[in-house]
Amino acid sequence: MNAVAVTHGSPADALVQVRGLRTRIGAKMIFDGLDVDVPRGSITAIMGPSGTGKTTLLRHLTGQLRPDAGSVIVDGVDVPKLSRRALFNLRERIGFLFQNSALLTDFSVFENVAFPLRQHARLPEELLRDIVLTKLQAVGLRGAAQLMPAELSGGMARRVALARAIVFDPMLILYDEPFVGLDPIALNQVLRLIKTLNKTLGITSILVAHELAAIRQVADRVYLIANGKLVAQGAPDELAHQDSPWTRQFFGGEADGPVPFHYPAPDYATELGFAGPHR
Amino acid sequence: MNANLRRNWLLQGIASVGDCGLFFAAVLGSLPKSLRYWRETCRQVWFVGAMSLVIVMTCGLFIGMVLALQLYYTLSIFGGTSALGTVIALSLFRELGPVVTALLVAGRAGTAVTAEIGLMRATDQLDAMGMMAVDPMAYVASPRFLAGVIAMPLLACVFNAMGIFGGHLVGVTWLGLDNGTFWGNMTSTVSLQRDILDGLYKSIVFGGVVSLIAVFQGYTAPPTSEGVAYSTTRTVVFSSIVILAFDFVMTAFMT
Repeated sequence: MNAVAVTHGSPADALVQVRGLRTRIGAKMIFDGLDVDVPRGSITAIMGPSGTGKTTLLRHLTGQLRPDAGSVIVDGVDVPKLSRRALFNLRERIGFLFQNSALLTDFSVFENVAFPLRQHARLPEELLRDIVLTKLQAVGLRGAAQLMPAELSGGMARRVALARAIVFDPMLILYDEPFVGLDPIALNQVLRLIKTLNKTLGITSILVAHELAAIRQVADRVYLIANGKLVAQGAPDELAHQDSPWTRQFFGGEADGPVPFHYPAPDYATELGFAGPHR
Repeated sequence: MNANLRRNWLLQGIASVGDCGLFFAAVLGSLPKSLRYWRETCRQVWFVGAMSLVIVMTCGLFIGMVLALQLYYTLSIFGGTSALGTVIALSLFRELGPVVTALLVAGRAGTAVTAEIGLMRATDQLDAMGMMAVDPMAYVASPRFLAGVIAMPLLACVFNAMGIFGGHLVGVTWLGLDNGTFWGNMTSTVSLQRDILDGLYKSIVFGGVVSLIAVFQGYTAPPTSEGVAYSTTRTVVFSSIVILAFDFVMTAFMT
């Protein structure tokens, strides 16, 4: 792999290190000097108001998007500087759980989980079958191996996607809104899986999520991002009791605050014609 | 339409052609890697080729029958009905076979390919492949492009055969033209190089054009239901225009 070595000092336990990240998409500044560290073996939650760039951050970590400036270091390599081949090598060691599961709709559950193995590992069919069934057993869906994605509920699809994401025993899993649209039972199943994978396999996990109760149960550390910058960080319980306008609004669920209720607009009275020289 | 809108429309059109050109280069660049996915290419040849057989055969049969009726009437004015087989064969091999087959494939398989890839884009399946270190250009785009190039000339051959069969059915069986005259004049006049192979070259080019447009439109479809529907429509419209334009240019060079 054409790895690009880290040129500046990095804590030995940080699997992911983001420094001075600046990204502009169109006219909007998404990140304006963002710094994030994710220790190995931890579960880190990325939170923030909608549209603040949480998913964009995950896309930077996987090299799907290149930043305008700054470095994104994953396991000692600077992701934006990787060649395509090296990037694909890195991605084989990263699992990604998409918000909508992103299962391949033409393939059965079994074939979806087997897909990465078939593409990258020349394994005998029997061994491949055993690995796939082991992963499906881990997410409780071995019995659903022959179902098609259209036959699955949202929670089941999320678990199949998780089985596919861990099929190569990755060092890092990125979860993009893993709890969205799940009923309480499915949510707890996914939550338990995230914890189990982290504890038993030591997989580092980064979660983008809004569900505060779930985050408090599972995350070791929370980064709160807003306006392109890191506005707060710490353990979930610490953050919930921190007295800053951002944490108060976000953890208190206040409708108005640093994140305004109203989208920027011209003066209301003027727009309705109640103000101006002719009145 | 004011001047600014017209200029924007023109610039967007030029930019789209440029994007399509770059996409074509990317598809060609991914072709060697896509040979790894030969099973996927075979599946796509089946989908584009075999699944289009019914419509291609049916249309070929009826076009051959209509040609026979029209040409028999026209040729009979000049006392030249013995040339019926030759004229049907030349019309089919040189023009109607490649062009009508391409238009049919654009409508049946091209739209399906665009909708399929557009939905894969909308449901993050292409991104998921990229995240699993599988290049979607090599796994999705190139096999579908290659399938179009392979299937189109084969379908055109089937179309031509059915057209001649339809022409024979009407000319010989129904209108009473001599069977020997029908086949004899045809085989002695139609040239393998000038007529049959030139038609096949056209089919190969049309196969490339239709599948490139279909894959490009799917790949660049906005991830909404309206976006996919609009891209599907554009596949048919652009394919039809480009097929007819290319047909004119190629015919001008081949004759």
